[in-house]
Amino acid sequence: MAVTAPAAPGTLGRLATVTPENLRRRYRRDRLMIGLLVVATTVVLVPLLIIVWYVVSNGISAVLTADFYTQDLGSPARALQGRPTGLGHTILGTMVVDGLALLIAVPIGVGAGIMLSEYPDHPLNPVLRILNDTLNGMPAILKGLLAFSLIVKPMGTFSGFSGAVALAFVMLPILARATEGVLRIIPWSIREAGLALGLPRWRVVLNTVLPAARVGVVTGILIAFARAAGEAAPLLFTSFGNNFFSSTPLRYLMGPVDTLPARLYSLAISPYKEWHAMGWGAGVILLVLVIVTFVGTRIVTRARHTTDL
Amino acid sequence: MRKMFTMIAATLLATATIASAQQVELLGAGATFPAPLVTSMADEYRDVTDGRVTVNYQSIGSGGGIRQFTEQTVMFGMSEAFLNDDQLAAIAEAGGGIAFNLPITLGDVVVTYNLPGVETGLVFDGDTIAEIFLGNITTWADPQIAALNPDVRLPPLPITVVHRSDGSGTTNVFTNYLTKVSPAWNERVGFATSVNWPTGIGGNGNEGVAGVVQNTPGAIGYNSAVYAVLNDIAYGYVVNKSGNVIEPSLEATSLAADVPLPADTRILVTDTEAPEGYPIAGFAWMLMYENLDANNAISTRTEAEELLKFIVWAITDGQDLAEPLAFSRIPAAVLQLNFDMIRQMKWQGEDLGAQVLAAAGY
Repeated sequence: MAVTAPAAPGTLGRLATVTPENLRRRYRRDRLMIGLLVVATTVVLVPLLIIVWYVVSNGISAVLTADFYTQDLGSPARALQGRPTGLGHTILGTMVVDGLALLIAVPIGVGAGIMLSEYPDHPLNPVLRILNDTLNGMPAILKGLLAFSLIVKPMGTFSGFSGAVALAFVMLPILARATEGVLRIIPWSIREAGLALGLPRWRVVLNTVLPAARVGVVTGILIAFARAAGEAAPLLFTSFGNNFFSSTPLRYLMGPVDTLPARLYSLAISPYKEWHAMGWGAGVILLVLVIVTFVGTRIVTRARHTTDL
Repeated sequence: MRKMFTMIAATLLATATIASAQQVELLGAGATFPAPLVTSMADEYRDVTDGRVTVNYQSIGSGGGIRQFTEQTVMFGMSEAFLNDDQLAAIAEAGGGIAFNLPITLGDVVVTYNLPGVETGLVFDGDTIAEIFLGNITTWADPQIAALNPDVRLPPLPITVVHRSDGSGTTNVFTNYLTKVSPAWNERVGFATSVNWPTGIGGNGNEGVAGVVQNTPGAIGYNSAVYAVLNDIAYGYVVNKSGNVIEPSLEATSLAADVPLPADTRILVTDTEAPEGYPIAGFAWMLMYENLDANNAISTRTEAEELLKFIVWAITDGQDLAEPLAFSRIPAAVLQLNFDMIRQMKWQGEDLGAQVLAAAGY
């Protein structure tokens, strides 16, 4: 092209006038691409913001009352007649069920992830991987039905425990996949360093690989939690629902309990405007629960990470 | 590790036993329509018992209520369709003895519509409703509708039929009425909690049907009366078997059940003979086992006793809650039938039902 052409008098001058034009075109193209990226990001963010704004603006009046947190729901007559009513029992029930689900799912899910990543030659792994993907693709309502026939039927009652098991089924495949993914990224040299010190393989995983991958593992746990926290389908026939606080702490595990996603649905389809408002309130609490968990754990893991280093 | 688990389990069990001696939680589930009444009864009953007895009722639909009752995961079911002979036989085979249907309130189904300029009170008769839902009458200007409403200026809108897409006790009552008043409906469609609709669009639940009706000028659907009233949807009056135009009301609904009843109350009182009765009405039944101990969901005698006490309260004093909430009281004759059924209920052969009734003074 012009640059490779034999040098002739005036060539340099011609180049000097051409290059800025070329450069301007590149800058223009660069700005265009950035502009497109900004538009694309906005398109992604706008629906999220609309959802948050819509839920909050509809639900804010409900969640700003003290009764919302201290009272149980009872009958619709309470809301219609202006007597105290709230979702205190639902918030409590959600914490119990989601918390227990995490306790059940994290050791098993992270364990399966470690197995897939650290023992790639184990004969069980291909089966484990297929089962994990199947479980991941299975509709959540089926996981609820499974918990129903495994726990509810033999126990003869719906229970928070069975709801937690159903949610654990939702969390398991996500946990296993996420853990496997982040452990794979940890360089083999780290494992080799541990093995060279004479550590057994399981110690290497627990003491060097897992700590190095901690932020990733925690993120996986969060994603699994957020996904399960919004599920109503697995809870319909397991934790079932309750309009009242349970009479004893044990009844939250062994008896039917309320959860936010399931209660949100039943409030939304009810014929009462007052209950619709409370349904929006339940949506706000659910959003806050997920957002607080995300932000909180991010801060905690980041702080620990830097002090460790 | 195992020892620790056993210890924890033992401690939990001990706590549970102590707790259950003081506090009782009863669990029921089923029909959506009576849910506001039953949960209000639960609120009130908790006060009556000083917070000792909590009744947890979840509305999962009549079909779900029958299902969970048969699966023995709830202490009582609730349904707008009574248990049929097959279901009764299956329950008897599973050791539950007779399954009882105890009427606890009455529901009426109203024909809802959206006609600009036409308020509540358009008059229908059975044949007209059947012809509309069969798709034979397709416009509001039809002479058959006009003949029933000489003073109403009907807009010449096409009729959009809206029906339930889910299994529903409301559909059972509504289609049962049409089956009784229209031979053509009986032949082509019949009645059930869900049927093969000849025409129209489906909505999920009372709210689904109401939503489509409210948003579609010219639409006609059917809803629980409570639902139509609460949501300000226009609804029609219906000509009953005696030829009287009946406005849906609590009184007219109670009157519909003022007919000879079988001892097991398994009857749909649609197209009632009662001259002032509203013709599209039916019971909402509480479902109970004869042998309370055979129901897996009831684990102690205390639970069975408290359940019986609650039911006796619900059909007597608890009925005072009905009318302020726009629900109909059960007629006196039905109350006596309920007593007769409760008297037969047993805990491990012991006549617990009769004892509870006697203790309550009935």
